[in-house]
Amino acid sequence: MKNFSLLFTILAASLTYAQTVPDSLATNPKNQQNAAQRILSGNINSGVTVGGYGEITYNQPEGDNGELDVQRLVLLFGYKFNDRVQFVTEIELEHVEEVFVEQAFVQYSLTDNVNLRGGLMLVPMGITNEYHEPTTFNGVERPSIDKSIVPTTWREIGFGVAGRLDNASLRYQAYLFNGFKSVNGSKTLGGANGLRNGRQKGIQSTIDSPNFAAKLDYYGISNLRLGLSGYFGRTQAEDDIEDIDGTSVGIAMVGLDARYAYKRFAARGQFIHANISDTEDYNALNSADLGSALQGWYVEAAYNLLPQSKKEQLFAFARYSDYDTHASVDGGLIKNDAYDRDEWTFGLSYKIAPGAVVKADYQLFGDATDNDRPNQLNIGLGVWF
Amino acid sequence: MKLNSIIILVFSFLAFGLPKNIQKKVDSEIKKTYEVETFSFNTKTIASDIANELPSEFGIDNFFEIKNDTKLLGYAYVSKAPSKTDKFDYLVLLDTNLVIIKTKILIYREDYGGEIGSKRWLKQFIGKTKDDEFRYGDNIDAISGATISVRSMTKAMDDLMKSLKILNTKGIL
Repeated sequence: MKNFSLLFTILAASLTYAQTVPDSLATNPKNQQNAAQRILSGNINSGVTVGGYGEITYNQPEGDNGELDVQRLVLLFGYKFNDRVQFVTEIELEHVEEVFVEQAFVQYSLTDNVNLRGGLMLVPMGITNEYHEPTTFNGVERPSIDKSIVPTTWREIGFGVAGRLDNASLRYQAYLFNGFKSVNGSKTLGGANGLRNGRQKGIQSTIDSPNFAAKLDYYGISNLRLGLSGYFGRTQAEDDIEDIDGTSVGIAMVGLDARYAYKRFAARGQFIHANISDTEDYNALNSADLGSALQGWYVEAAYNLLPQSKKEQLFAFARYSDYDTHASVDGGLIKNDAYDRDEWTFGLSYKIAPGAVVKADYQLFGDATDNDRPNQLNIGLGVWF
Repeated sequence: MKLNSIIILVFSFLAFGLPKNIQKKVDSEIKKTYEVETFSFNTKTIASDIANELPSEFGIDNFFEIKNDTKLLGYAYVSKAPSKTDKFDYLVLLDTNLVIIKTKILIYREDYGGEIGSKRWLKQFIGKTKDDEFRYGDNIDAISGATISVRSMTKAMDDLMKSLKILNTKGIL
């Protein structure tokens, strides 16, 4: 009997010490750690993940002053409570002085193929909104379509389901999200950046009708990855005015994207089209200039100038983009030709490590007007870890 | 029974064997791949002085012999490799000539990079042997959006081939 109680004590003690992930509510005060201590203890099995990405950029338009900016520094923290339950958050410092939460969601794994998610999440549309870390795309700035048509980084609060089917080489995501705000403070939708002003980003956001977003990614063909995204719903109006015509617009956005990589060659492309309904009433009520369709596409080819045996990579790339936030207009609105834009970007991405890149490119801007838009040189540093 | 032997028994029970959920998946893959209903699955121990020299880990719960009665069917290798912020578990099944006949991602624990579980992608390793080398983006396809995990799995497989070659040269396999 004595032996058994001793054995029990030894076992209990060894289990207590093996437990490197203390429950946050009931812990032995002797072993209690706060979040920072847990991170600093550096134990990979402790469930804590620390990561981040950052971009420091230099934009030099011809004939004007340049801009040097710590464009964004994003700190990622993740915690795995157990094999089923995880929390992920990204805290973003934009231009050094603004703080945002870019993602904050809890994931619950039902099975290997089905995960439930809720919180502040990225809307899956096109390539860059989900894959926006600077080492994952060429060019100092994100593709312009992923600013003016897809309002990157587009995130709202919602819930949904995501997972992968290994047998079919398919990844799926489907969510109900809060939508854009019809009028955000004093800012209306429309203009050069379409829906961008309406992003609520989870900041005391208002909701009257949820929006649906889904994406399928197919990677069953060698070297190729294809994406099909959809987003459907309405913008959110304030309570006391929501029944008035023009206080909200309907949005139906679809996106197609493709990424290809073979040995030293890589290519990608994306097409996004959004139909926006009730813009005539919206523009009349808010003196806005929102188009009834937004559309954009780009294609890009890149080639690694260094031999594949080298760990470093030096990609030379060229990208052509064409995008228009007045692809169609309704009612009395006259198309603004300055919103019908195209651009060439030529540049180099020098990956000095898989997670660190030095970038330089030159951009030639054009639009459907006769006006000259100054070309621009960009240089940037990007990291992701 | 003496206390010492009880402790040893308990601890050896704790130390050996794959976690239940992993063992279940491994068993089911073995049944499908070798087309057998019953088989034995036992650690093939590699002496630690040799194991330490190998590029892959050959510990207590990594390398197994699969037998049907007394007939050797092949080998199973189970290990972990890093993904972006976590580790995933994978399985490699080999025939008696050390030819890869199956690779599978058993558990993938994060969102980013799970594309390596794709059957189509993992097929690239099938039929390869200890004499083959795997190079990411060269003879092994890249997957856009899953670069880190693809590199990691490719390296893990390349290390395994190198290890098998060494063990074969030494006459152990």
